[in-house]
Amino acid sequence: MKTPVSILTGYLGSGKTTLLRRILNETTKKVAVIINEFGDIGIDGRVIKGKNVNMIELTGGCVCCSLEGEFKAAIKEIITKTNPELILVETTGVAEPEAIAFDLEESLPEVRLDSVITVVDADGIMMFPSIGHTGRVQIEMGDVILVNKIDLVNPRDIIKVEKKLHEINGKATLFRTYKCEIDSELLFGTYTTKTTEQMHKHKHDPKIDLFQISVDQEIQREGLSDFLSSLPREVYRAKGLIVIKNHGLHLLNYVVGRWDLEPMPGNYSSGNQLVFIGERVGSKKKVITEKLNEVLMRK
Amino acid sequence: MKKISDVVWEIPKSYKAGMLTPARIIATKKILQEMDEQVYEQLTNVATLPGLINHALCMPDGHSGYGFPIGGVAAMDAENGVISPGGIGFDINCGMRLVLTNLTADDVKPHLKKLVDELYLKVPAGVGSKGFVKLSHNEFKEAVEMGAKWCVEKGYGWEEDLRRIEEDGCMEGADSSKISIRSIQRGVDQIGTLGSGNHYLEIQVVKPEFIFDKDAAKTLGIFPNQVVIMFHCGSRGFGHQVATDYLQTFLSVMHSKYGIRILDRELACAPFNSPEGQNYFAGMKCGVNMSFMNRQVILHRIREVFSSIFRSEPEDLGLHMVYDVAHNTAKLEKHTVNGEKKEVLVHRKGATKAFGPNSEGLPPEFAKLGQPVIIGGSMETGSYLLLGTETAMKESFGSTCHGSGRTMSRTRARHLFRGDKLQRDMEQRGIYVKSVSYSGLAEEAGAAYKDIDEVVGAVDQAGISKKVVRFIPIGNVKG
Repeated sequence: MKTPVSILTGYLGSGKTTLLRRILNETTKKVAVIINEFGDIGIDGRVIKGKNVNMIELTGGCVCCSLEGEFKAAIKEIITKTNPELILVETTGVAEPEAIAFDLEESLPEVRLDSVITVVDADGIMMFPSIGHTGRVQIEMGDVILVNKIDLVNPRDIIKVEKKLHEINGKATLFRTYKCEIDSELLFGTYTTKTTEQMHKHKHDPKIDLFQISVDQEIQREGLSDFLSSLPREVYRAKGLIVIKNHGLHLLNYVVGRWDLEPMPGNYSSGNQLVFIGERVGSKKKVITEKLNEVLMRK
Repeated sequence: MKKISDVVWEIPKSYKAGMLTPARIIATKKILQEMDEQVYEQLTNVATLPGLINHALCMPDGHSGYGFPIGGVAAMDAENGVISPGGIGFDINCGMRLVLTNLTADDVKPHLKKLVDELYLKVPAGVGSKGFVKLSHNEFKEAVEMGAKWCVEKGYGWEEDLRRIEEDGCMEGADSSKISIRSIQRGVDQIGTLGSGNHYLEIQVVKPEFIFDKDAAKTLGIFPNQVVIMFHCGSRGFGHQVATDYLQTFLSVMHSKYGIRILDRELACAPFNSPEGQNYFAGMKCGVNMSFMNRQVILHRIREVFSSIFRSEPEDLGLHMVYDVAHNTAKLEKHTVNGEKKEVLVHRKGATKAFGPNSEGLPPEFAKLGQPVIIGGSMETGSYLLLGTETAMKESFGSTCHGSGRTMSRTRARHLFRGDKLQRDMEQRGIYVKSVSYSGLAEEAGAAYKDIDEVVGAVDQAGISKKVVRFIPIGNVKG
């Protein structure tokens, strides 16, 4: 299976490092993060020198990596040596973040671009009237935008900030955060119904929920495209196994309007579930199910 | 917008609160109409920075960049002005070098594919690519204080190369105690590498019909049907880290310590005369020098490749440099301001120094002509050699454009063009391309850039540079 890669971007001081620390502390997955400098994140450990990448293994299975050589070679090295469940790239560690985000899947067949996570500090947006070019590109790129440091601005201003962000990127899902408090499983789309309860135990956005639909039939490729294009913008993620007519079993990964279908070994098995995650998506279950049934009916 | 001439446009101070000077854009009407609107915002933001002299300037190839537009020129009062990493760019001293050969297109064509393939192997491209020069951290620190001279001493180049580089290949005052360990880690093995994005190495031909100034061309060693080599690259991860380090420093002191308020935090700055400003200036100079070294080692590799393919010594192949110009820098220069000679800090971001005839520091053999200016076009369209002028000294602090300038974002270009198709199209038109990635190639599609003839036409008409020759590519290694 392809290794999902997420890109983490955001202005200096917006909270990227805080988010990284949180992810490394909380995740139940084996995550490899590529950071600019070990010192930034305040972790200690034995540095294992590699050819293209230096690594520190953390208790719990995560790995911190700092780039020494060529980016693509480094990613390959990380996969071979540690086989992570996902790789997270923090972009201040690389010279041309834009180039990497858009070049990734083509140049590295072993990975899939999962999502671009942009951290924005709400007070910074309020403090400076203009959003610069690079800030704008970061916002444009984001599938998910964490509107961070909400404690520093008043609620009316948060709405202004969100409006500004949506003007630049109307597709992204926005999460308001204080000190980047967010369920990392939510960011990576790895959680299931089992973790929903957990999620609500944390102090996270209660608006986020999920539901599942069973798909027991084959779906036509075009029908699937139509269905995914029609998903309401409340759906932040969708994923699951699906059988495409004449093409076999595939793993679907949908993130804010963008999707990836990865061929999977094995045959059709019943009980495949598609999971939909997003802001109050429960209320959209009916419309989404109807649309799915409509495309499934197509001959 | 006020029309000053057919190619000079002014945005008045009244456009935005806080502007200290008007902003000026050098462009034909066509370019101006197609210009990315963010440029106006950015340029007028620049006009609010303390110490700005005369105008915030934007060249015809201008497009939006980090804080300042790329194509921006801002001259600051050295005594009470600021220095801003956003006005210099992350890729410190990304620049152009032009090298001659005594070969003609007919000599080269039978070997072109092999030549490009070999150059692709010897001059590593791509994000994070490593060079063949192996240095310890201490050697690297010593080297970045010396610039291209270090390379020549180590045998990567000829003595004559040095005076054909802006600043003779070394910006004095570079201080490696002002750069972080992380920046050294990122740069230490990147000398002699192209990098990615818009960086490239090109084999080009002088078509007789594109020699605009025969005498100047002759003095510079250019003849009809000649093959020349042009390349564009910078200070790689090193310059990027130096800029990032100081952006962080400036953000923390700008307001709290110096009381400077700015409109966009990408314009983060510090007083030039403050300890922070001076430290950045000394660190930036290391970046400038590292980039000169990078291009010097690449030249050495080019000479090796030509020598092996044409089975002659590089000297016998006439592989002399025309010149090397820097794009992303800030330099302390003397300019006439209100009739008085004054020391000013000229930020050039995606803009080229274009000093007029008999300016200080020009090699004697072409001092009379003015400073050579090398303009890289997009891969598909061609490039130019220009000369700096007296008018540039008066109007633009001795500055001109640097390339053709993007018309669309990289992301958009990737969606619109397909790299593999582009490569085939270009091959059909006689341009052989070797690239690390197809989508990287798509980003650099000719249609993603402004018309280079229009851009050069604008600076020529404005009188801030003079056309000498246009080159047509036949082979390209893309980063």
